Amino acid sequence: MRGATMTDLLLDARGLTKRFGDNVVLRDVDLSVAPGEVHAIVGENGAGKSTLIKILGGVHRADGGSMRLEGREISLSSPQAALDHGIVVIHQELSLAPHLTTVENIFLGHFLRNAFGMLDHRRMRARTDELLKRLSIDIDPTIPVGRLSIAQQQMIEIAKAISVRAKLLILDEPTAVLDANRVDTLFELIGRLKSEGIGVVFISHHLEEIFRIADRVTVLRDGSRTGTEPVRDVDHDWLVSRMIGREFESYTSKQRQRGEVVLELEGLSSEGAFEAISLQVRAGEIVGLAGLIGAGRTEVAQAIFGVRKHSGGTMRLNGAAVRLSGPRAATRRGIAYVSEDRKAFGLLPNRPVRENMTISNLARFTSFGVLRLSRERAFVREQIEELDIRLSGMQATISTLSGGNQQKALLGRALAGRPKVLIFDEPTRGVDIGAKREIYRFIEDLAEEGAAILVISSEMEEVIRLSDRIIVMRSGRVAAELQRAEASEETIMRAATMA
Amino acid sequence: MSETTPSSRPRDGAGTRSRQQIFSALIGRTGVLAALILLIIVSSFLNDRFLSVPNLMNVLRQVSIVGILAVGMTFVILTKGIDLSVGSILGVSVVLFAGILETQSMAVAIPLGILAAMALGLVNGLGVAFAGIPPFIMTLGMLSFARGLAFIYTGGTPIPILDEAFFNLGNGYTFGVPNPTLILLGTLLVSGFVLTQTPFGRSVYAIGSNEDAARLSGVPVGLYTTIVYVISGGVAGISGLVYASQLSVGTPIAGQAYELDAIAAVVVGGTSLFGGKGSVTGTLIGTLIIGVLANILNLTGVDPFVQQLFKGALIVVAVFIMARSSRA
Repeated sequence: MRGATMTDLLLDARGLTKRFGDNVVLRDVDLSVAPGEVHAIVGENGAGKSTLIKILGGVHRADGGSMRLEGREISLSSPQAALDHGIVVIHQELSLAPHLTTVENIFLGHFLRNAFGMLDHRRMRARTDELLKRLSIDIDPTIPVGRLSIAQQQMIEIAKAISVRAKLLILDEPTAVLDANRVDTLFELIGRLKSEGIGVVFISHHLEEIFRIADRVTVLRDGSRTGTEPVRDVDHDWLVSRMIGREFESYTSKQRQRGEVVLELEGLSSEGAFEAISLQVRAGEIVGLAGLIGAGRTEVAQAIFGVRKHSGGTMRLNGAAVRLSGPRAATRRGIAYVSEDRKAFGLLPNRPVRENMTISNLARFTSFGVLRLSRERAFVREQIEELDIRLSGMQATISTLSGGNQQKALLGRALAGRPKVLIFDEPTRGVDIGAKREIYRFIEDLAEEGAAILVISSEMEEVIRLSDRIIVMRSGRVAAELQRAEASEETIMRAATMA
Repeated sequence: MSETTPSSRPRDGAGTRSRQQIFSALIGRTGVLAALILLIIVSSFLNDRFLSVPNLMNVLRQVSIVGILAVGMTFVILTKGIDLSVGSILGVSVVLFAGILETQSMAVAIPLGILAAMALGLVNGLGVAFAGIPPFIMTLGMLSFARGLAFIYTGGTPIPILDEAFFNLGNGYTFGVPNPTLILLGTLLVSGFVLTQTPFGRSVYAIGSNEDAARLSGVPVGLYTTIVYVISGGVAGISGLVYASQLSVGTPIAGQAYELDAIAAVVVGGTSLFGGKGSVTGTLIGTLIIGVLANILNLTGVDPFVQQLFKGALIVVAVFIMARSSRA
């Protein structure tokens, strides 16, 4: 912060450098956080954010540079050492024990004991209640945390960090798993942390969040710091240009040629998930499916793809009613679905990129029961080129790729089946800005080539940018259908949240 | 996340592989083979007879039965499953071969014995793939059940096999190579081809790597998982063929605890118990490592009880090294 002297700073890291072999992944990076300050770090995937966090959290040791905490030089040899200094990292993947209650999770590792050396449940319960009250977290601390929502679990992790007297809290993309309402709640919580003098390092791909919550922002690109400024002094374009090293070209929508209705749902229902959903997607059209998390969008996609049985209504493909028995039948009918959960439903983590991209339609690369590997390689090479996937080779294990490149590989997989209908569920989740733009272009190109496309996204910007038409869902029903011209964050949000 | 790994860096990935990665690649691809070669070199110094043709042929003949089982086991483990019943299924096929040969010819006995083994594998497969029973439990049940069948069929008494042609299958040589070894190689070649060159094989890896993702990609997970257990059962039948012929007797205790040797061979050969990673070539090498170790310990006169220690340590050390290298 301007005017702050060194001893005022909570964290003062200078010249942090990290190499892996010959590869410098972090180069001479400075980062300071004052007590009660939220310092955002932005950058594309591969810019060095994760490495920086890992150094601050004691997972990696820096090859160069120094760190001071409250004016004293510190050296973090392990995550435990970081914790001992009051530095707590909260990862996207939460580290709570799902079968234990909130009380037990918060005291895990340092249980309170009574005079007989037994667990002192009463005192732990009382302390937990007090803590939750102080942070205005409203949950029942006695049920297993696995039964709570992701958002609630995240808050418990933060509460746990506070309970061990965290001074510096590092939140690694905490909003990636939350919908808009929950983000508000999280930000309120961060506000309370600030007022308690806790420093926060905040990582997010959503730039608008930076403007809402952060005091200062540091931009990383290719392992170097390209800027640190108070948030009030910068704007969106500045951030993007620092992140990608060039001006962000603004998007102009092209008018696409629309054809016949390819996919049509009429009154489709699935008990407990959605009701009376009717929609049409034409060839060459991108239809956005917006709504809050839990509105039933993914469930509709699953029903179209044959993963979920629907109890009522009709689905038509090219005018003919169909009832799909499963993903295999859907794939054969020319439907492709890219799941929102890459890790659980997308990746074959320990297989090469090549195999990951062709598993959806091996028949295409098979003659007389035998795989034609050269044909397969040709397809994969083409997709890698087309999607600009960055990797050392198509034999690279897919889990070694960055999130954006993994996602691109899965988009390539969707194309292996030569689909007429494509459903993209959160196509840019956990993907950086550069890859995001490429994915948008890829989806638009597909539409231009005549595919019927359904995009599910919780990011307003994304839905608005991509869609010709937007269907907003709320509590399992269609709440509104908006033409491109009438779609804005406001109109969508209003339809998604208000009855 | 993975943004720190060199391969995610723009295009220059290939040039900047870290030492760790190269190390793990070596272990993964050729490490097991290197271990086998090292073991052979060391053994040849320890004992003059080791490298003699009769001794090597002896090793090959001895490893055949477990080697064949291990090839079938590889399919199962690649899908993240396990098949504890192969030893018992082998036992069933052995007593069937013996029993049928009493009245029928080899041409009837062999297909019937193998079909029976496949049928037991089918039960495993259906239980795992469609009833949702964990592979460990399903095949543990079958281990007991199939052994019971073998005892009931024989009434507990071994059935002698007198058919000379059948005897030849397991004890004869073709082109100077023991027949059992040829059967092992045949099983191995077919399996290797199926796993690497067919959509089914590719799908087996996919199922083991991420079953849900495979299903969403249109892989018929249930069907293929079932087939994998049928293969494992059928291969146990083939292994039983070699066993019955070598011993010329249909004993209901045939193949007891062989499932553990087969699993050991697969694991030492570098196939991951977590699924989706491994190969039958690795399994062959794993089989040979265990076989050669047993052989040299025999030749140098190590106490059979002590041999057990070596074998146990080998399995643990092999898996330890692989776990380390795959984490790197």
